[in-house]
Amino acid sequence: MSHSGMEEEEAPDVICELENVQGLVEALTAVRWKRYQDAVLELSEHGIVLIVDENGCLQAKVYLKRELFIRYDYKARGRPRLGVSLGHFVDCLNAFWLPGQFSVVQIQYPGPDMQLLLKSVDSLDSSICAEIRTRIPDTIGWDYNFEPAGANPLTFTVKSAALKEAIEDLEWPGSSIQIILEPDPPSVTLRAEGHGDLQIDFMYYVNSELLVAFQCDHRTSFKYKYKFLRATTSNMPSSVIKENRGSKLSIGRGGMLKVQHLVSIAKPSVSHTYVDAVGYQQPGRIAHIEFFVKPEETED
Amino acid sequence: MKFKAFVTDNGVNLLEKRFLPALEKTGKSCHLYLTRDHALFLHNLLNGDGVHSVAQFRKEALFHDYRISSNNDDRIAFALDLSLLLRALRSAVAVASEYSASASSTRLEIKLVKKLSPNSTQPMPFLTLETRGYKSAVIQDIPISKPLSRAQVTELQSALDSAQDLPPTLVQVPDLNQLLNLVDRMKLVGDVVNVFISRHGDLSVQVSTTLISLGAEFRRLVVIGEQTNAPSEDQNLSAHARSSRSISRGDGQSVQVSVKHFAKSLQCHLARPDSAFYGIAPQGSCLTVIFQFFIPGSRETDKSISLHCRLPVLDPGSG
Repeated sequence: MSHSGMEEEEAPDVICELENVQGLVEALTAVRWKRYQDAVLELSEHGIVLIVDENGCLQAKVYLKRELFIRYDYKARGRPRLGVSLGHFVDCLNAFWLPGQFSVVQIQYPGPDMQLLLKSVDSLDSSICAEIRTRIPDTIGWDYNFEPAGANPLTFTVKSAALKEAIEDLEWPGSSIQIILEPDPPSVTLRAEGHGDLQIDFMYYVNSELLVAFQCDHRTSFKYKYKFLRATTSNMPSSVIKENRGSKLSIGRGGMLKVQHLVSIAKPSVSHTYVDAVGYQQPGRIAHIEFFVKPEETED
Repeated sequence: MKFKAFVTDNGVNLLEKRFLPALEKTGKSCHLYLTRDHALFLHNLLNGDGVHSVAQFRKEALFHDYRISSNNDDRIAFALDLSLLLRALRSAVAVASEYSASASSTRLEIKLVKKLSPNSTQPMPFLTLETRGYKSAVIQDIPISKPLSRAQVTELQSALDSAQDLPPTLVQVPDLNQLLNLVDRMKLVGDVVNVFISRHGDLSVQVSTTLISLGAEFRRLVVIGEQTNAPSEDQNLSAHARSSRSISRGDGQSVQVSVKHFAKSLQCHLARPDSAFYGIAPQGSCLTVIFQFFIPGSRETDKSISLHCRLPVLDPGSG
């Protein structure tokens, strides 16, 4: 063993740098449905996945592909997993986002004491630093394996803004929401029964600008807890609405509902003198957000 | 006890647009202390806790035809609500601008009066703002405290005198607004901020809890007062290592203050100072912020205006 090898510091599992902190904050905030929430970060050569879970009934994942980062050095063997408080992570990242300033944040794991380290790397003479204590995450007890319900997928894509609005409107009737997919005529119905009844229909042929895609070959109906459905849209980033994006909902085996949003983590372009017009809106600069919601009861 | 003056246009501008909005952030109410030559807005000088803030104006900076008399060496002090004063000034400005078409310039008179208020039999003290337009006059009465007693004024003056000592080393803060933004986020993390200042122009602020630490570090800042060159062997060390080495060498010092107080001191950027300096008073007794104002269009300090704050230091046990 060479002597110099001993002195060499062990390279951290991951060092990555991101230009658009605001976009990251928005993407992470989208899966923050309560104040104190634990998250698990999973690191790999493909990027970082942040996972949030609630009592085995609701799970959310934010996929940050390595293409989102301007630098992504991955040295770990295996796939390190670490637990952090999502609130602290978001609060710290927020500190790196200064209005009217363009800042690059560096994320490193692990630090000398297994912390998650955040650092601004724009200037030598001033820097912002944060250290977040991590914990060893619980072993996975989740079974969110999303499997197709049958040979043909049950899925529809609806404008994110319309979905958010519909779910907000369903707040008053009750605690449970029924989602019904009907092949003929192709339609999606969100129905709540409780203090009153409220039903919101998206007809594929009538509301084609809202219900942009639809696939279903037999009538399907499942009930979901309102608070879980609400969590899937309540903190949707404003950029999703602004860019008029769609959200894809799929129902899998056993009624497992998957909700997917796309959030752009493009370089901030607002009033920046050196806008990289080509770099803006690259498909690689999109973070995927997925929610998995378990149904309340099975209905056939 | 008499006080009467006219507020100059520059004075209105200074108070309405800059100082009152800034001072209001420090605390809703403050003491207005008037002497033969100066008008001072003082926060928390008579009680121990809170941010001590001293905004001092030479009378010419705000007023003309300034007349003051009292049997306490022509000194008058009273407590008032800054938001009321600001509101009154704003409406006076609005009234004045309505009449600005008329040739004669409007005059804004400020004076101390005693009036019988509707629900009391005792006459109450007011600070009155009177705007005279071409055809009408608008009078606004701002309720104030009873004037401070001779003993209280003496106490206020001695607190003021003892607050004049400068910290041996002052470092210039590059961007108050940016720092304020950061400190606002720090409030979410913890209540106590550790401030480190060194003689070679380092400033770091850090909030730590058991789970998280968030901070910012500035290097090579402009230093006023005692200064040394940074040892070259420290260049590549981490911020934390450098500050602890600096403290052990004795060329750096750190104190803990309330994050809220620190944020309040940064709110003073609303007064649009031309620069701001932070320093730690001898024996770490307080964190001092001194704001500098230039004579408009120059790089010369405007000696007629001064603003500084002193932030009480928390003892490490109370964090």
